[in-house]
Amino acid sequence: MAAKPKNAAAAQKGPAGGRGSPNRVLIMLTLIALVPFSLPTLLVLFVGMLPTLVAALGERGANRYAWICVGGLNFAGLASWLLTLWFGHHDFSYAFHVITDINMLLSAYGASTVGWVLYLSMPPLVTTFMAATSQRRASVLLAQQRKLVDLWGDDVAAGHVDELDLD
Amino acid sequence: MANEQQKATGAIVGLRDRFSILLGSPLPDLAMPHAQAFVAEEKRDNPRSLFALIVRPGYPARLNILRTLKGVECPGLMTLVDWGVVDWPPANRKVIAVIYERPMGGRVVAVGANEFKRIDENDVLRKVINPLTAALKVLKAQNLTHRAIRPSNMYWATAEKERIVIGDCATVPPAFEQPVIVETVESGMAHPAGRGAGNAADDVYAFGAAVACLLQGRVPLAGAEPDVIIRMKVLQGSYSVLVGDERLPLPIIEILRGALCDDAHERWNNDSIDLWLSGRRLSPLVAKIEKRAARDFNFNNVDYSTARELAIAMARNWEAAVPFILDGRLELWLRRSLDNKEKAASLAATTGGPAASADKRPTNDILVAKVCLILDSGAPIRYKGLSVMPDGIGSFLALTLAEGGDVRLIAEAIMREIPHCWFETRDAYNPDNSTMESVFRAQKVYLDRGSIGFGIERVLYEMNESMPCLSPSTIDDYVLELRDLLPALNATAKKGDQKGWPVDRHVAAFVAARASFDIDRQMLDLASPDASRSSMGMLNLLAVIQWRLGQGALYGLAGWMGGLMHPAINTFHSRQKRKELEKEIPRMVREGSLVELSRLLDSPEDHNLDRQGFEQAKMDWLAAQREIRDIESGKVVYQERALQMAQQTAALISVTISFITVILLVISRLF
Repeated sequence: MAAKPKNAAAAQKGPAGGRGSPNRVLIMLTLIALVPFSLPTLLVLFVGMLPTLVAALGERGANRYAWICVGGLNFAGLASWLLTLWFGHHDFSYAFHVITDINMLLSAYGASTVGWVLYLSMPPLVTTFMAATSQRRASVLLAQQRKLVDLWGDDVAAGHVDELDLD
Repeated sequence: MANEQQKATGAIVGLRDRFSILLGSPLPDLAMPHAQAFVAEEKRDNPRSLFALIVRPGYPARLNILRTLKGVECPGLMTLVDWGVVDWPPANRKVIAVIYERPMGGRVVAVGANEFKRIDENDVLRKVINPLTAALKVLKAQNLTHRAIRPSNMYWATAEKERIVIGDCATVPPAFEQPVIVETVESGMAHPAGRGAGNAADDVYAFGAAVACLLQGRVPLAGAEPDVIIRMKVLQGSYSVLVGDERLPLPIIEILRGALCDDAHERWNNDSIDLWLSGRRLSPLVAKIEKRAARDFNFNNVDYSTARELAIAMARNWEAAVPFILDGRLELWLRRSLDNKEKAASLAATTGGPAASADKRPTNDILVAKVCLILDSGAPIRYKGLSVMPDGIGSFLALTLAEGGDVRLIAEAIMREIPHCWFETRDAYNPDNSTMESVFRAQKVYLDRGSIGFGIERVLYEMNESMPCLSPSTIDDYVLELRDLLPALNATAKKGDQKGWPVDRHVAAFVAARASFDIDRQMLDLASPDASRSSMGMLNLLAVIQWRLGQGALYGLAGWMGGLMHPAINTFHSRQKRKELEKEIPRMVREGSLVELSRLLDSPEDHNLDRQGFEQAKMDWLAAQREIRDIESGKVVYQERALQMAQQTAALISVTISFITVILLVISRLF
């Protein structure tokens, strides 16, 4: 019984996966081809963006926004050293110098911590805001209903209880 | 001089600004049993001596007589000068007053007197027969019947007592005050209020009976019970009962035999009397005596020898008659003893024969009513205790209501189509009977419906043209015609006597019976159980009358109606519209216009707008309710959505900060 939907999903995904595979392979091959030319950058990124990598690998569920939130600020904290690498000495020795720089580590990891704080503190804020908005909407609707009753009498609401129950 | 004194005491009632009725001057000698008489004076310089008869409140006056005989001068009729509705202080209401020329010689026979001075045979022609014949001719020419020809209603026209005139016949229903002795057998069997207008032959009979009494100077069988008089007339014939062995000149015997013939078809008419007056002698009629049976029929331990007697007895012992009819004894007696095969066959057809099953027979009451008519086809409609002529049912109903009697029996008789039985048993076709039968069919429909505007009240007004509206709101104003109705209701409202609705069952029935224009829709609305619809029906009905009759402002009635319009105002859903109407109604009331009030409250455009607005409001309310319900019931979904939105927002902020940082750093490096 359960096999049928799976097959159907596979069938739906099949053609798309088939079309996407060569592109993805092409991108991967391009990136691999570029690796020899950007190894210092990759090294700095790997070390500097470790919190993001951990967040991406550790996150579960349908909505995966934690790694983006952490990653964004993590990258912002690392950006200054990356630009120095790109605009200055793009070589391994400087890359090693950067990854051993305590300031860079503090900046990148501190920024990622701020990312986590942002990610964790936002839901209560948004929930509170949305609750307030809904409550206000309900109050407005009730006021509208009261006005209708004032203008047209109680009969305006008569007979709707059943209708609502049927819905 | 007397007038001056009356005026001083204020006891004068005016009629049409032309006549004065002096309340302090009653005339007992001219009074009728049911109508008081008072001295009347004409305000013009006129030597005529007048008197007024006051119709007793509740009694239906004979309007056709009043309208037709007004101003008619005839040697045999007391001249009816005028009539009209007047304020009557003793009754504290309005009544009908009839003004007559005063007969100067007084009454011929005092009311209730059984013996009096006889009129000589030599004078009777000049003093009695000639003027009375002239009166009968005038009445016949106008297609009227007098139905009050009796010695005690005759007056000497002059102080010299040279000529007799017949007195009033309009203040009571036809033949209401007639003693049985001067009435035909058929009419005598009916209740006095239900004798009906009858026909000219009834007047000729009463004329003959009155002449017979005047010639003998006594009322035969005075003091005898009506039943005894009728029985004697049936067994001996009217002439024998009224004249007996009295020695009279042959010509007088001839006219009396002709006038007192019990068979209405053979009875003399005006032409016969004219021929007699001109000296032509007709062959004297031989009295037809009711056919006697070879063997008497024993009913209720009494033996009866004629079908007519038996019919009277059965009508008096309603329940006891049923077994005699159903077991075939009566049919057998008719066939064998009375030798009347026609009546026997009719009886068999009515009962279905002794072998007929119970469900095929008419109910016992209808059966007895039919059998009574088969036995005596000339008799009135008899049903349980009821005994009335078909054309007397209206006046009988009116009198019964006026005296607070029970009208259920009359209603039941009409509902069970007893009048139809009477029409079925007629010997010959008469177009008047067909008209009357269709009238009774209509009355049955009115009784069947029973709602306001119908029922027994409708029957009352349909069958009594002269019946004033008996509603408590109008009864004091004696409303005879539709045009008087709204002013009467208006006056009631002005007096502050308004109780309930102005249109009650009597007013509605009166309007329905008298209106010559279409009021079906208004009557239908009025009868609605929905208060708002019925109140609008009432307003529309009164507005139609005001509009059709072109009646002016009715402030009191408009105010009365305005106060009753809350159900109609409440038909609008819009509270704002209701407030507007409540403000507008007092303005309409001040204009006294029911028509404008009706337009204001019954505007189809306003109602449509209100209905559309209300429907829209209902939909808006429902939409709001659904949204509120969604907000309240959808908290879980909304929290999930909030979490997702928060994460997205955090990611967006983070990416934005990152983007701005990179841009700024790049810019700082480049410049």
